Amino acid sequence: MAAEVLPLAQLKLPTGPSPVTPEQRYWKSFRNQKSHTSTAAWPISHISFPSTGATTSNSLVAATKINDLFAVTSGPRVDIFSIRKREPLKTIGRFDSEAHCGEIRADGRVLVAGEDSGRMQVFDVGGGTRAVILKTWHIHKQPVWVTKWSPTELTTLMSCSDDKTVRLWDLPSNTPSRMFTGHSDYVRSGCFMPGGGINILVSGSYDETVRVWDARAPGGSVLTFKHADPIEEVLPLPGGTTLLAAAGSAISVLDLVAAKPLRLITNHQKTVTSLSLASNGRRVVSGSLDGHVKVFETSSWNVVSSSKYPSPILSLSVVAAGSTQEDRHLAVGMQSGVLSLRTRLSGTAAEKARERAAEQAARDIGPDALERLDAQKANRKRKVLSSKAMDRLGENVDVVIPTQPTTTVVNADGKVVTRRPKHRKKLKQWQRDFREGRYATALDQVLDTSHPEYFPVTALTLLVALRHRSALREAIEGRDEVTVLPLLRWVGKHLSDSRYVGVCVDAAFHLLDLYGEYVGGSDELAKQFAALCASVSREVEKATMAMITSGMVESLMIGGTE
Amino acid sequence: MDANGETASLKKRKREPKDEPSPLKRHRSKSKSKSQANGSPSKEMKSLVQSTVSISHPADDDMELSGTLTTRNELAQVPSAAWKVSNPMGGRMLDIDPIFSPDEQYLIITYNTSIQVYSTVDSLLVRRIALPLATSEPGANLSAVHIVASALSKTSPDHVWVASTDGRIRHINWTSGAGVDAPFTIETKKLLDMVVESAEFGDTTKDVLIVLQKLTGSTAQIVAYDDKALSAREGKLLHTCDEAPRLVRSAANGKLIVAAAKATLHIGLLKKRKATNSLDDLEYRFYSFNAPDLVACMDIRATTRTTKKGAIELGQVDLVIGGARGAIYLYNDVVSKLPSDGFNSSKSGSIQPRKSHWHRQAVHSVKWSADGNYLISGGYEAVLVLWQLDTNKLDFLPHLSATIENIVVSPGGSSYAIHFDDNSAMVLSTEEMKPTTYVSGIQSLVLSDQPSKEAMVRRVWKAPDEISTPLVTAVNPLNSSQILLCVGNGQQATLGGAELSTPQLQVFDISSCQGVAKHAIARTNPTDANITSQGAPIVEPRATKLAFSQDGKWLASVDEWQPPERDTEAFVTGSKTADQVCHERREIYLKFWKVGSEASSLELVTRVNEAHHTNQPETIFDLVSDPTSPRFATIGNDGLVRFWTSKLRRRDGLATTGHDGQQLRMWSCSRVVPLPTSVKQDSSIQPGVKRCRSGALAFSEDGSILFAAFGEPSEATIVAIDTETGSFRDVVYGMFRGEVRGIRSLGSCLIMLSEDLAVYDIVSDELLYSFSLKETSKSAKNLTQLAVNYESRSFALAAPIPNTNQDKMKKGMKSELVVFSLGDQEPKLVQTFPQLITSVLSAVSSAGYIIVDSAAQIWSVTEGAEQAPLLQPLANLGISEGVGAEMEVEHMENVLEDGEASDEEMQDVDMDGDMEEDYDTHPAVVAPQRLAEIFNVAPAFAMPPIEDIFYQVAGLFSAKPVQP
Repeated sequence: MAAEVLPLAQLKLPTGPSPVTPEQRYWKSFRNQKSHTSTAAWPISHISFPSTGATTSNSLVAATKINDLFAVTSGPRVDIFSIRKREPLKTIGRFDSEAHCGEIRADGRVLVAGEDSGRMQVFDVGGGTRAVILKTWHIHKQPVWVTKWSPTELTTLMSCSDDKTVRLWDLPSNTPSRMFTGHSDYVRSGCFMPGGGINILVSGSYDETVRVWDARAPGGSVLTFKHADPIEEVLPLPGGTTLLAAAGSAISVLDLVAAKPLRLITNHQKTVTSLSLASNGRRVVSGSLDGHVKVFETSSWNVVSSSKYPSPILSLSVVAAGSTQEDRHLAVGMQSGVLSLRTRLSGTAAEKARERAAEQAARDIGPDALERLDAQKANRKRKVLSSKAMDRLGENVDVVIPTQPTTTVVNADGKVVTRRPKHRKKLKQWQRDFREGRYATALDQVLDTSHPEYFPVTALTLLVALRHRSALREAIEGRDEVTVLPLLRWVGKHLSDSRYVGVCVDAAFHLLDLYGEYVGGSDELAKQFAALCASVSREVEKATMAMITSGMVESLMIGGTE
Repeated sequence: MDANGETASLKKRKREPKDEPSPLKRHRSKSKSKSQANGSPSKEMKSLVQSTVSISHPADDDMELSGTLTTRNELAQVPSAAWKVSNPMGGRMLDIDPIFSPDEQYLIITYNTSIQVYSTVDSLLVRRIALPLATSEPGANLSAVHIVASALSKTSPDHVWVASTDGRIRHINWTSGAGVDAPFTIETKKLLDMVVESAEFGDTTKDVLIVLQKLTGSTAQIVAYDDKALSAREGKLLHTCDEAPRLVRSAANGKLIVAAAKATLHIGLLKKRKATNSLDDLEYRFYSFNAPDLVACMDIRATTRTTKKGAIELGQVDLVIGGARGAIYLYNDVVSKLPSDGFNSSKSGSIQPRKSHWHRQAVHSVKWSADGNYLISGGYEAVLVLWQLDTNKLDFLPHLSATIENIVVSPGGSSYAIHFDDNSAMVLSTEEMKPTTYVSGIQSLVLSDQPSKEAMVRRVWKAPDEISTPLVTAVNPLNSSQILLCVGNGQQATLGGAELSTPQLQVFDISSCQGVAKHAIARTNPTDANITSQGAPIVEPRATKLAFSQDGKWLASVDEWQPPERDTEAFVTGSKTADQVCHERREIYLKFWKVGSEASSLELVTRVNEAHHTNQPETIFDLVSDPTSPRFATIGNDGLVRFWTSKLRRRDGLATTGHDGQQLRMWSCSRVVPLPTSVKQDSSIQPGVKRCRSGALAFSEDGSILFAAFGEPSEATIVAIDTETGSFRDVVYGMFRGEVRGIRSLGSCLIMLSEDLAVYDIVSDELLYSFSLKETSKSAKNLTQLAVNYESRSFALAAPIPNTNQDKMKKGMKSELVVFSLGDQEPKLVQTFPQLITSVLSAVSSAGYIIVDSAAQIWSVTEGAEQAPLLQPLANLGISEGVGAEMEVEHMENVLEDGEASDEEMQDVDMDGDMEEDYDTHPAVVAPQRLAEIFNVAPAFAMPPIEDIFYQVAGLFSAKPVQP
């Protein structure tokens, strides 16, 4: 029956060539950049945090839940950072040469790192500022580039070295439990395959191959993928059947079950140095020497977001935390020795940040606004309390009458749905003015560029609505020298936007028709009209150029077809 | 069709076999494979000869017969055994107060061609009493005849009196429909208004009709009739008023009569007499005085008191009038303020009324509430205003669907019946202001009989008096009884002038003859003021095309909007005309909607702003849907054919999902096919001189070929486009004379409508037959429509019958429907319709057509023994009265028993009595279409088990459990 009064809907403009997607918005929400420069600006070679993987024991799950550490390897140092505070907790500097691949175990207690000298060391992470060396192996004679803990077994780890071997280690024993040979060049990347327990490993080498090893099978690799460039990084997807390998500037997607490459991703310009999983394995983030970080979705490997860093990227990681393992930080380590941490606030933290921002904004406006904000807060608090009280009341009474009336509606499927009436949005002042026919006042408000809620598209929405209601002229006429200027300025500014041009032209026609005769009497008006004229002639010039170009292209096309 | 093969709107093409077939100069250019097959010159010649032979006929007749109207009698001779036309349903509610039956069980609504009785309990149509309005006398001006008043008889509540302008008054028993064919006729130039009162003549009480009838140009008489006087055609003259009176009202058993003539009120008081024995004894004393404004409507509230002697005399009389300029004037106790010096014909006196002004424009209806404490008024603002007289407080029921035309307070005072301009009526309970009954007919534009009350004052706008564009309609392919009509907000939609506003889509169920839903498919402003500050109505967009996808899940629509010329004065510079300026600022949207179940919801999926454009948005000539797959095609003035298909909505390669996880789809242009432009246009590029081009599209039945006709008048070509590759299979030149108005494909034939109707076999390259159309004016051409039914292999052409007297498609114009079977050039059916046909639809999954006319009526044309899919009123179904309500109670009992049976099988029946009462007071209201859904799923022999049906019905009627 009676229709509800709704605010004027914002105009839906045609999307431009690259609209902002939710994905981009998500990755943009990694803000609050914090940079750490490593000692002597050593390049950040590796960033890692304990991966959950397929955990076996309950204690391990509990440990990862409360894990607050991630390790950053740079030069002959490994820094341990706190995820919550985003600050270094301790530094392990007991390396004789360049350190590689500092990795914290899944329970967060110990860390392993390799070294240019070929030595591998295991450190105690917890307790004390000075890390205790728990274990040292010096079996590799060439630099060890990869040391990784098994995600399932606490005592198993692997290593890859420039001596062309991949080795599997057991923590208590002094010798490797298995040595894989087959690579013909430096092995610079490697990993345990998820789902394969401690048995299946994968490694990528400068001999341009990715090899899959099975500890149960004797002899060489069980699967080899040949690439065109040295392999810098391998990353298995959580499913355990797909593997990503960064070869040169390309990333290849390899299917282990079908034993064939699925796809080659060539979005980077220079060598891709690092890969990381994000969003619980549904996204992959890559970093490259061209300074770009790109985010891929994992079904058809499209780039969903991308950002640029000032220096070549050597390492990156999307640090997840919390019980749901949601993305917390985007940590990027660069050649310049800078570790950039970008953080996404979520849940209560985001709420708090919003509140603080609102308070700051209110303080900027004045004490009145601050008071209003406080009153609002108090009101909200009271509502929460009263609803809580109502809940408690409900425990020992039979019928609770809700404060908000509910309506029972039969929906399309014939089901009965109880609907709480939506809190009706209050009309804004300009919307109310528009509805009640005070068009000029409404127009003044949306054109006020100093207003915090000023958006060009709001002004456009109102101007188009006025045109639809045959009220554009009414809203424009009857102004004086001061009140006409904002509109004149707005028109001149937005004339160049193709989505605005129609309305701008109409408004400009009305302005000329109504106020053209007063130009002689007002300098300011004359100035603004001159500016409008200039922007129109600029547009005409552009259009002429476009026409000339199109004519040239057309003649080329005709020449081509004949 | 008469002897020379001519109908009222069609003329056979005459061509001697030896004639140069110049109008049909045809050039075929084919793809290679085809030209080898049958492109040889000899074959071409042969086919031409064939075609001319087939269209030749005895040449002795004079072909230039003027388009005289084919009357019904002549039509009866046409052998049309196979095809038949049903009785019409629906109609347009007239601006006459709806009538409550005394027990408030029924609402009697006066339509333009019928009286319809609705049950107030369940909104169902109980009886439709068709009124034959056309007189048998030749030469009568049919357009003028319409019903002006209907009133319930005071002496027998089963009868209504219905008066029409030609002086015929019918005494109709609305419970049986009797009395339609025996009208009383009174001698008058024009009957203006009528009220019914009762009077005691001796011992008998009789109905007395007080009739306002036209005497000369501006004077009119008030004449009283009783049944004797009606038979004798001689009434008792009571008073003569001048200044073109329009309204007469009476109160208190005829003790008081008030007539309104422009701004003058005439009040007649019954002279007291000892005894009235006959009509002649009724005598009135008339007073007249000036009202401050033109009277648009009025209402009287009169109390009577009994004197000591036992006689009844008039007590206080309160008169309220609604002005044409929006004010309401209240005359309290008007009788006592009348000058006491007796009869006063000169308008010397004037009584000061109390003025209340809220309405912006004319007050369409004002009524007293039953207790006299409130006034209820309504008008163009679509707001029901309740005036509390003691406190001057206003209450509103705002944002109603359309202009309020009439308000009636029920006899008991517990509900209001409101008639809206959008052809709907509603009964509101006064306590909660909630609707209890809702009746809604086809809301398309009609040719109205009376000028609107708005027209009493000169306005900045002028309502057009003709229908010049066809009604845009579509049939839901999933539910053959649902048709969708693009409608505006009632007749108000015409106020924009030439640009009709039809931003809404009405879903109308023809099997129940009820509007099911109404969706806004373009911009509407239901909650904003509907006029500008200058008083001009706001123009809303006009939906021009509508098409369902083959699976019924998608709906495509095209709407256009352009600013009215009055807004564009500032933009006219240089050589541009206002028309061009408006054209440049057009907004043409192609929209794709996701259709919910039963067309109950529409969700906008994609909006394409300028589907066809050059340097400005271009008209979309046609929108068709592929009969085999969900795909649409459009053709525009830019000479392009675009195919539209849906695809998964992706963002960065990821499929986006809706709230409930289902994948979202969007529509986009999948293929663009530029059409060949005629040679002439290429050679002489004349900027500025733009000839108006036209185009049409038709998919072949298997969806493999799209036929596109496009070009300038008489130069249009037909291109057969392969829908898979987009290549041209065939090009046919010179098939059209004048503008392309439509093409349809049926089997191997192409039916083309321009100024000719031609049937062309595309495979054998042969013109089977052609007719030329007789219509003359542009709007007549617009209203010529073509529809194809695949089921019966037939096509139907609806065209207005040309009238030499008037070009405009005004009231009184007739239309003709001609149905052809594909193989036969003799039409299967030629039928004249008394109103203009505004839309022809091919029925889905049956061999027939549905026709909507300019009186908002719906007709069904069916072949053979097929049942018309239209609603039968309850009365026609042989159900006795009141069964509607009783049936529900029975169902209730059943439900109850069913519920009990589950735990206590052998429950005794003695509880039933009081439970029944309980339910009786709260009867469940079930939409008739819900019942129809259950019972119409299959023919009788294929129905589901009776038990299932029972549970479905029980489910409908049992009360829904209230959610905690």
